[in-house]
Amino acid sequence: MKSWNGLKRWGGWLAAAITAVGLGLPPASALASGGVAPPKQDWTFSGVFGRFDEASLKRGAQVAVEVCMSCHSIKYIKFDHLRSFGFSEAEVKAMAESQGKTKKDKMISGMDPQAAKDSFGTIPPDLSLMTKARKGYEDYTYGILTGYLNDKEKEMVEKIFADGNVLDPEIKEAAEALHLGHDLEKAKKSLERIHRGDNFNKYFPGNFLAMPQPISAGQVTFADGKESSLEQMAKDVTSFLAWAAEPTAMERKSAGVKVIAYLVLLTIMLYAVKRRVWSRIPH
Amino acid sequence: MFKSIMEWVDARLPISDLIKSQATEYPTPKNLNYWWNFGSLALFVLIIQLATGIFLVMHYKPDAALAFDSVEHIMRDVNWGWLLRYLHANGATFFFVVVYIHILRGMYYGSYRSPREILWWIGIIIFFLLMGTAFMGYVLPWGQMSYWGAAVITNLMSAVPLVGEDLVVWVWGGFAVGDPTLNRFFSLHYLLPFVVFGAVFVHLWALHAVHSNNPDGIDIDEHKDSLPFHPYFTVKDLYGVGVFLIIYCGFVFFAPNYFAEPDNYIEANPMQTPAHIVPEWYFLPFYAILRSIDFLGSFSKLAGVLAMVGAIAILFVLPWLDRSPARSFRYRPLSRQLFWLFIIDCFILGWVGYNPADATVFGGMPIVFVGRAATLVYFGYFFLLWLITAFDIEKPKPTPTSI
Repeated sequence: MKSWNGLKRWGGWLAAAITAVGLGLPPASALASGGVAPPKQDWTFSGVFGRFDEASLKRGAQVAVEVCMSCHSIKYIKFDHLRSFGFSEAEVKAMAESQGKTKKDKMISGMDPQAAKDSFGTIPPDLSLMTKARKGYEDYTYGILTGYLNDKEKEMVEKIFADGNVLDPEIKEAAEALHLGHDLEKAKKSLERIHRGDNFNKYFPGNFLAMPQPISAGQVTFADGKESSLEQMAKDVTSFLAWAAEPTAMERKSAGVKVIAYLVLLTIMLYAVKRRVWSRIPH
Repeated sequence: MFKSIMEWVDARLPISDLIKSQATEYPTPKNLNYWWNFGSLALFVLIIQLATGIFLVMHYKPDAALAFDSVEHIMRDVNWGWLLRYLHANGATFFFVVVYIHILRGMYYGSYRSPREILWWIGIIIFFLLMGTAFMGYVLPWGQMSYWGAAVITNLMSAVPLVGEDLVVWVWGGFAVGDPTLNRFFSLHYLLPFVVFGAVFVHLWALHAVHSNNPDGIDIDEHKDSLPFHPYFTVKDLYGVGVFLIIYCGFVFFAPNYFAEPDNYIEANPMQTPAHIVPEWYFLPFYAILRSIDFLGSFSKLAGVLAMVGAIAILFVLPWLDRSPARSFRYRPLSRQLFWLFIIDCFILGWVGYNPADATVFGGMPIVFVGRAATLVYFGYFFLLWLITAFDIEKPKPTPTSI
């Protein structure tokens, strides 16, 4: 009986507590919205046994030096460092000289940060850690490089505005193709910004960014003769940036295989010893 | 030769006696299960953290202009620097994994009950110290999440009545998180682990005074039911260390950034707030509790901080809330159900803490509702545990008289 009275007494308190904790009250803050996650890609260097493809790294370095470095620095890498995946000293020297640098210099862009801010409204971020510093990692970098409007999509947007008569079905179609979401009013605003010439990217959070489309098909002539499609260039330069973000990553993984193999063996033996020692104790 | 040297030493400092009574022949209940491995594992991780930390400091620069670069220097130029850093960063994560399991083991088997209250208290103090150490350590790489995490958490002190604002400025060493903040956090991050080490010593001292609890939660006949620590538990603990190292090194070598926020690879920028500030995973449940108290207007902040600190501090009185005649939940069906509900609730709180405060779930419900409910359940555990034991609502099964 004592317990029942206690329960009744505390039941009242519990009800009061639920009210006090504010389960019925509205929240203090309102709602925000997100973007589209970039699609997953296959990377040769992902997984326990994945390794960098040196040919791809070399092509990627070429894209980085010839294209990206016009605006972006890769400040934690020196040109000489590129020899670690197959470039010769002469090739590294030539690449450095093309940027007005020596092979011992860091890969710093020739663009003045203030000039960049004046023309783009922001200072282009350093790329050294880019593939580690964004959600989605390498997929994100690849997504940004390939996520600008292609010719067909550009045409579709222009067609909507060409006749001066913007129709709901048109917006709906474009919103679906560009992942603009279900809110037609918002989609329309985005399409107008694209029409005005703002830089639109499917995978950039918020869709609009300071960087115009950085690479397009055929922009570089690969030294190894590989066709420089947009996808190929994006893949190679992303691989290169993944290398630049952690040049010791492959060393880490090959050490890891040995470490884990050793630990598994050690642990099996420790387990055997444990069994042996404890077998003296009758259970 | 060795024997005569040891005799000479023992006549002056009785080391052999100490080793015998406190280590090799220290009586340990023979029925301890693998959940009892996590105490020695926690000590093992503490040693890893100290060892890697001391070497990291040889290359790290606690300066707002240099810290971020010096971490990349460690990753790229220092021989095996990447290993040191990844061992240390993942060591923090696994420290909390191990310590959480260790604490929950104590909660399940009633290890906090008399006569182990002081042992339990010192454990809670160690946990608080650990949280402080981890928080300050996370600031040192000086990435975006380091900086803004520090800003959000230190700002909580402004909730202290009257002196709050001054207190925050005093802690920052300026009017915002900056170079002085980084310097003092570095100093304290180096100091606190040694304080932890001292507290661990007292923790072990208290343990050796009262001896280990056991899965049955009963007092044992030490002559009949205990085993010498060596070799039985040394070998069992070593096997545990092996299993632990496989999992830990799996992350260190193959997914070292699994528990890290990508934003922390962007150098701290006081002019640019990240879209979404999240603490490290091990703080998320408490962060969720903090943010769940948002309905008290200007008192929300203070109440949130009190709730967050209270969520851990309430463990201090746990030995007196639990009044069951049985220690171990093995013999307490109702407590056991509450316990698992509590575990699930901690995961829900973690998930709430990970999401933005203004997120919505289940088709439009603000996530803070989930947070409030989960906070209620969190504290409800302690209340209900007291309720069912103080009023004999739970009828424990008979406990065995020996193990």
